[in-house]
Amino acid sequence: MTPLPLAEPNRHSVYTGRTTSWPMVAATCVGAIVVALNARQASASLGDLAVPLLLVALGSVLNVLTASSVRATVGPNGVTVHWGIVGWPRCTYRLDEIESVEVIDLPWWRVSWGFWWTPRRTSCTVRSGPTMRLSLREHRVVTITVPEPAAAVTALEAALGGRAS
Amino acid sequence: MQWTLDHTSRDRLVDQIAMCVRRGVASGELRVGEQLPPAAELAAALSVDRNTVLAAYRQLRDEGVLEFRRGRGARVVSSGPASSSVTEAAQALIATARRHGLGTNDLVRLIKELT
Repeated sequence: MTPLPLAEPNRHSVYTGRTTSWPMVAATCVGAIVVALNARQASASLGDLAVPLLLVALGSVLNVLTASSVRATVGPNGVTVHWGIVGWPRCTYRLDEIESVEVIDLPWWRVSWGFWWTPRRTSCTVRSGPTMRLSLREHRVVTITVPEPAAAVTALEAALGGRAS
Repeated sequence: MQWTLDHTSRDRLVDQIAMCVRRGVASGELRVGEQLPPAAELAAALSVDRNTVLAAYRQLRDEGVLEFRRGRGARVVSSGPASSSVTEAAQALIATARRHGLGTNDLVRLIKELT
């Protein structure tokens, strides 16, 4: 990866943070158990249930592994977001792609509970409350959950300020 | 958590990274059980070599601040041996300042002037 121009060539200020949604992990596990129990009652033989149950288990594991937590790195190299325990999927927004950054108060009905993409918006949120929002030059809005959004915004603003000078 | 490195400083980069972690633990930014970023990721963000970050993590592990677990990276296990002695020294400083009629703001200003 080629580093972008830095605010101060010799000084690096970087913010890192991880947020995990334990309620979402619990809800996924409870949901999988409920589906399995309902399917068991509705079907006569275990053989018929094997494939659907396997798919439910696989979906639940994938959901917990990839969408239950978000890890963000903010600094002179832009913003990188890693999902889940294994850090995948991953997306990076370089400094020259970012127009501005702010802290917003995300209401619970706007939380994506995972990775969400539309032509105008990207959402990487696992909880409501103060959240970092990037406005990209291509008129997209990216919302990312970080433990301390104000600190993340400060680090990014310092890097963006260095880019402008 | 905030990581700040000064590449022109006389302090080694390894020590600066370790200091960031100690400061994070002391301030409560990093709690016991919290996982630190993978060395490669942090190295790329700070524009340093991965081995520099690993050396800092190893130094903190030897101090008892971090532990390494296979597949789970580096985790904070304690606030480190230094913090209790620093806390005691700070309490002694506060007591001395109170005896001389200095308030919290005066103390903070004094510390800022000295550091």
